[in-house]
Amino acid sequence: MADSASNGRTVRRGPSFLTASARVFDLSIGQMLWSRRTIFLALVVGAPVALAILFRVLDIMGFAGMRVGSRTIQGPTIFGIFIWMLYLRFIVPVLGVFYGTSLIADEVEDRTVTYLFTRPIRRGAVLVGKYLAYLVATALVVLPSVMLVYFAVVPIGGGGLAGTFPALLTDLAMLGLGLAAYGSLFAWIGAQLKRPLVIGLIFAFGWEQIVMLIPGYLRRFTIAYYLQGLVPHAMPQDSTVSFLQSVLRDVPPAWTCLVWLAVIWAGFLLLAARVVERKEYVLEQ
Amino acid sequence: MTAAPIVESTQLSKWYGQVSGLNDVSVKVPGGVTGLLGPNGAGKSTFMKLMTGQLKPSKGTIRVLGEPIWGNPDIFFRIGFCPEQDAFYDRMTGLEWLTALVRLNGLSEKEADAAARRALEVVDLTEAAGKRIGGYSKGMRQRVKLAQAIIHDPELLVLDEPLGGMDPIGRRKTIRLIREWGREGKSLIVSSHILHEIESMTSNILLIHNGRILAEGNVHQIRDLIDEHPHTVHVRAASPRALARLFLAYDDVLSLKLEEDAVMVQTARPDEFYTRLTALVASGEAGEIHEVTSPDDNLQAVFHYLVK
Repeated sequence: MADSASNGRTVRRGPSFLTASARVFDLSIGQMLWSRRTIFLALVVGAPVALAILFRVLDIMGFAGMRVGSRTIQGPTIFGIFIWMLYLRFIVPVLGVFYGTSLIADEVEDRTVTYLFTRPIRRGAVLVGKYLAYLVATALVVLPSVMLVYFAVVPIGGGGLAGTFPALLTDLAMLGLGLAAYGSLFAWIGAQLKRPLVIGLIFAFGWEQIVMLIPGYLRRFTIAYYLQGLVPHAMPQDSTVSFLQSVLRDVPPAWTCLVWLAVIWAGFLLLAARVVERKEYVLEQ
Repeated sequence: MTAAPIVESTQLSKWYGQVSGLNDVSVKVPGGVTGLLGPNGAGKSTFMKLMTGQLKPSKGTIRVLGEPIWGNPDIFFRIGFCPEQDAFYDRMTGLEWLTALVRLNGLSEKEADAAARRALEVVDLTEAAGKRIGGYSKGMRQRVKLAQAIIHDPELLVLDEPLGGMDPIGRRKTIRLIREWGREGKSLIVSSHILHEIESMTSNILLIHNGRILAEGNVHQIRDLIDEHPHTVHVRAASPRALARLFLAYDDVLSLKLEEDAVMVQTARPDEFYTRLTALVASGEAGEIHEVTSPDDNLQAVFHYLVK
């Protein structure tokens, strides 16, 4: 791309922000998928699959299913618990923290960021490209894991796959939103702060966990609160779970959740890109 | 009319917290090949990072090719930077890496592939194009780094210690390339802590020490000073004993120290020594030579003399 400047010299313009992001994505996706972190990621998402298979084997062998009072919990409900308790409250934030905070930090630590920052593209595009690579890499591992859990767990207690399929699609979309929102928040934390991993872990497993159990407005300062409003599954009823249910019931309508998640996603991604544009990264010698 | 400087800094300073990396540097670097010479820790890399927009000045200004550099990505069409650090995406092949990087300059997949192959050919890595960078030798890694700097045919090349870790033949070829690029009209700023290296590329140097530019101009004036101090060369080789035996026959060799996989030599006449070493490698007489480096003790001594 070239423009003519007033002094007669041809001024070349770099690729657009989106094109540059897409090209950084191309460069980064392979690195991200085959990194040591992916082994950790595989272990994290493999755990629910192993647990689901165990439940299914016990069911096939005729062991009594999970019960709440006199009622046997059906497969779709168990699947719902997997989605909420394991994926949304644990796996998605873990992935967001570990990948999101390292988008730029890894390049700086490996001292490869120089090659990206000496090309005619905006530095913000480097962050966005790497963020897109994070989204695809995590989705490629998390979503198949959810599918495996779905096929293993839903038939337990005679649950049907066909009837619950729309809920599965909602779950997959919700997980995608969770990865996007957490990734965006932690990308900003990673770009802005010196010890992003510690801060990220404190946010995901300190602040969010505690605040979600306290009634009141504070929970609105979490991502889990808005994701919770999108959970399509009915939870089982008993005394303990009823308490949780009462806590979980305080959720805004789905459209409000979607709007807030979009605001969190776009807001923090823009902030992260802005930080990377302006910040000076000093490489260790 | 004098040609516009390619790099112009005014009272440029850079601090890392309390540590000064560069101190009040005002300099105009002319076009052509310029050597930035100084011992390790002198501020060469800091200056190069400032002139490639990696760092933001703490004080003062720097303009490159007439434009500000910080926050000006479009200028990287005109600049190629070969950093000092030995850092890569090791899982990628040389061709994949170069193609991916030059696509960031806006080239299509096909154009990028062609540009990458051309750059690999220039640095003599065509045969290793499909090999993972993680499997490259130190010299090959230096050369692929050089390839990413030249791949988009920039007007100005900033090369931070480009010969570090190369074998003698690689050094000779790279020096020849740098001289060719200079003759073709490109401007180059090349850093090194070895006068001999810089001298073989250009006579125009900037002497840097303790974050300050000590002198600028013709290399020959400090040449005599350098010659008064013995030059140390560290040669890592497959057969260091055989190599040491050959070195002993040279009258310019002042001392030899044998290590497990290397020989440390002190020579009074580095030019002759390097020329003979290159010939030795080419003949295969001395077996395989993996790496030639030079500690900067000798240059440190000269700088201490200059600043006294």
